[in-house]
Amino acid sequence: MRQGSRAEKTAWLMAAPGLTGLLLFIALPAALALILSFTSFRLGSPLAPHFVGLSQFQRIFSDGTFSRALANNGLFALLVVPLQTGLALALALLVNRRLPGITFFRACFFLPVIFPMALVAVVWKLILAPGEAGLLNTLLHTMSLGAWQPVDFLHHPRYAMGSIMLLSIWQGAGFQMIILLAGLQAIPQSLYEAAALDGAGPWQRFWYITLPQLKNALIFVALITTILAFRLFDQVWILTQGGPHQATSTVIFETVRAVFRRQDVAKGAAMSVIFFAIVLLITMLQQRLSRQGREEQ
Amino acid sequence: MKRLATPFTYLLLTLLALIFVAPILFMVVSSLKPDEMVLSSGLGRAFTVAHPSLANYADVMERLNFPRVMGNSLLITSAIVASGLLVNSLAGYSLARLRWRGRRPCLILILALLIIPFEAIAVPLFFQVTLLGWRDSYQVQIIPFIADAFSIFLFYSFFLDIPAELEEAAAMDGAGPWRTFFLIVLPTAKPVFATVAVLTFLMRWGSYLWPLLVTVGETYRPLPVAMAAFENQVKLWGDIMAFGVMMVLPVLILFLLCQRWLISGIAATSTGHKG
Amino acid sequence: MRYLSKLIIPLLGLLLTACGQPSGPPEKGTVLEAWFHTGRPQERRVMEEQVARFNASQEEVEVRLTLIPEGDYNTQVLAAAAANRLPDILDLDGPYLASYAWQGHLLPLGELLDPQLRADLLPSLLSQGSYNGKLYGLGVYDSGLGLFASRSGLTAVAARLPSSPETAWSAAEFTAILARLAAHDEDRLVLDLRLDYSGEWFTYAFSPLLQSAGGDLIERPAMARASGVLNSPASQEAMTQLQAWLTYTEANIDGNSFINGRTTLSWCGHWEYPRYKKALGDDLLLLPLPDMGQGSRTGMGSWAWAISKNCQKPKQAMTFLHFLLQAEEILAMCEANGAVPGRRMAIALSENYRPGGPLHLFVDQLRFGVPRPQTPAYPVITSAFQQSFQDIRHQGEVAAALDRAAKTIDQEIRDNDGYPARVRP
Repeated sequence: MRQGSRAEKTAWLMAAPGLTGLLLFIALPAALALILSFTSFRLGSPLAPHFVGLSQFQRIFSDGTFSRALANNGLFALLVVPLQTGLALALALLVNRRLPGITFFRACFFLPVIFPMALVAVVWKLILAPGEAGLLNTLLHTMSLGAWQPVDFLHHPRYAMGSIMLLSIWQGAGFQMIILLAGLQAIPQSLYEAAALDGAGPWQRFWYITLPQLKNALIFVALITTILAFRLFDQVWILTQGGPHQATSTVIFETVRAVFRRQDVAKGAAMSVIFFAIVLLITMLQQRLSRQGREEQ
Repeated sequence: MKRLATPFTYLLLTLLALIFVAPILFMVVSSLKPDEMVLSSGLGRAFTVAHPSLANYADVMERLNFPRVMGNSLLITSAIVASGLLVNSLAGYSLARLRWRGRRPCLILILALLIIPFEAIAVPLFFQVTLLGWRDSYQVQIIPFIADAFSIFLFYSFFLDIPAELEEAAAMDGAGPWRTFFLIVLPTAKPVFATVAVLTFLMRWGSYLWPLLVTVGETYRPLPVAMAAFENQVKLWGDIMAFGVMMVLPVLILFLLCQRWLISGIAATSTGHKG
Repeated sequence: MRYLSKLIIPLLGLLLTACGQPSGPPEKGTVLEAWFHTGRPQERRVMEEQVARFNASQEEVEVRLTLIPEGDYNTQVLAAAAANRLPDILDLDGPYLASYAWQGHLLPLGELLDPQLRADLLPSLLSQGSYNGKLYGLGVYDSGLGLFASRSGLTAVAARLPSSPETAWSAAEFTAILARLAAHDEDRLVLDLRLDYSGEWFTYAFSPLLQSAGGDLIERPAMARASGVLNSPASQEAMTQLQAWLTYTEANIDGNSFINGRTTLSWCGHWEYPRYKKALGDDLLLLPLPDMGQGSRTGMGSWAWAISKNCQKPKQAMTFLHFLLQAEEILAMCEANGAVPGRRMAIALSENYRPGGPLHLFVDQLRFGVPRPQTPAYPVITSAFQQSFQDIRHQGEVAAALDRAAKTIDQEIRDNDGYPARVRP
């Protein structure tokens, strides 16, 4: 009995630093955000904050700005998640071969991952430069045999979000490739051998073995990308400040702007709460999907 | 059929690799050019430099205390990685292998915290650290990020699968949980340590929002914030690209040195996660 | 694992040495912390030299300078103010002053300021630095906004060259000149509006157009509402005109279109004068902004020094500001950043700004300068106006964009109960 309680104490001790950290620096601020979202609190204001009920939320949803930002996040997720996952899968399939020099190619695809987004944004600002000076404009001009007219990508309502997506995919695909590659390598070789005996071609093997076997890895990758899509911030802050015409504003961008440009902490906190609810919803959906996936297997 | 497939694969690989590497190459080449030549039109000219010069690098060194900022980043990131590995692996181990009251609620708490994005709590956290008087320091950039729900979860999933015989053998020899963890369990857990280290490193190395809020001068400022400030401030594209190269070079070397080890590490853990 | 420890141990060593870095014991009785925004390296160098000179001249007081890049400056000051950790002395971008003053972070400077010096300061600096009848900010220099032009380019299309704000081009005349210039230009892009800048520039540069047309950012002097002013017919007219001119502007990210000769005109501030002068030489011409009907208006106001409530030794802090406001120190700073010297005495000594100097127009037109609204709502006013400018720039509907901005500003003022004046306990 004595020994049991001592062992329990040790177990507590081992977990304590980690748990304390989580409570202090994640749970506590999250609770604070929830409380603040029902007040009128403003950074530095000499006016006393008061309880305002749900009016911060009401205001957020009645004003088109936030809904637009939310829609942008949705659009970003809708396009980037399948595109980036597809690209990563293609890359993973390509580098999942025993060919000489394949590690070199793997490294090439992974390379952008080690670039901090702040740097990626700045390099791409140059690539996306307006007019004939811009690299992408020149490239498109050359490839279209002169038909492409230079545009100001980051300031064009139609191209701005696309540009942000492009550089995000460039930076993120390599990481997903690695996770999918690991998934591919975990598929038992015997499955392919059996299929080959049954006379299945490469496409059939891909559809009936690779994809189903990779399902959980794919869902995992898609989930991470979706959450990252809703956390989109650095690129927007550095490159477009949400413009033009709010074409690139995002939930986090609006939150940071509310707090640090307008000192409106309570509004920012309310936005955070909404944001958290969305992420929670996505995660629950993913849990359900992957549980279904497991039951089918 | 196969004979044809291989050259085609190489062609495709090369093409894709070019697309992925082109922006990086562009950055490196631009860093060697005079500022006004960076935005010179013409595809060929973007990737070639007539008279390569290190003047931009010298310029960066003159304009800001680069070694200081780089040192800050290395210090902050490595401190988080090192202490995070210890703290989170212990928590993961305790949750996965030891029996204690309150274990289940803690596990649920961690799963719940897992999905709280940092951005959602940045503002209240900012107030907290302000109350603690931590603004503009190293600890404000390190301590809040040591304990990490995702890392704990990765360790937890990994430790869940280790064979019980290992621990039983250790217990027979009279080893307590600490000794068992450090001498028996830890050596078998290299892949998960490597993965968590790499993931934490990448995440923290690039973090921008938080240090933007909590640092003031150059004294404690890490690279990404310095980079954005530098870009905002000078508009000299050659200098900015040189800054970029200097910023990414150490990570690049680190990455090339342990590339194989890194990729296999991530692979090993994420398949473990598949469970 | 061994590999990892090889890496981590030296890094931990670095950690210990870095943390142990001493900040240096105070050598003098009073140490004052000062924050300064850094733009150009020259400016930074002058500031450091000035602090060194001041410290050398003082027995008791030592000023310690922290340099903060301009891009993040306001975010950082905001964060420090929220944490009640403002330094003793700091410089603030003029229009943000009122916000900090209302929040009770700043000390009124009126009684500390030498009256003789006050009489010699440019009135524009005193008005931009005041809030609610009290002086909180002291600018060492003011700013100048105008149209830089290539003389030969304008003569080629037989444009009239105005030399004073009273004789500025009318909007119609400016439009006609742009059209004539465009006819001779391959890509028709002849006007540079410095769209490579961001943030405050747009309010600084283009709100004078509103005022010149009879509109404004906010109703003055009460500053209690923007509706009916920012979206008034006059303001709409001004922005519609600007939208038309935008079809002649070139977008770029390096700000070189004027010095590379791709555009004939550059709508810009005093700070680019040295670079433009170097590129164009005697061909460089400075003109007032176009007159939208009620006379040409100009942007004004710049960075100003303030003393925070945290300062225990305001008199000593003021000694430092008095030091910076000596004619020769003003000139040293203006030499570095090209700004309009903040005292008449210094202007008379300045090559560029004295009567007959190439930039005298910047001094002359300050008679028609309108300070950016000195209200705590300014951060929101400027952010809303910037957004509407961006919308207008991208062919958005002018009336709708201005309506939206006005609504945002009014909401902000209501949310703050109209900024009641009372001192925090």
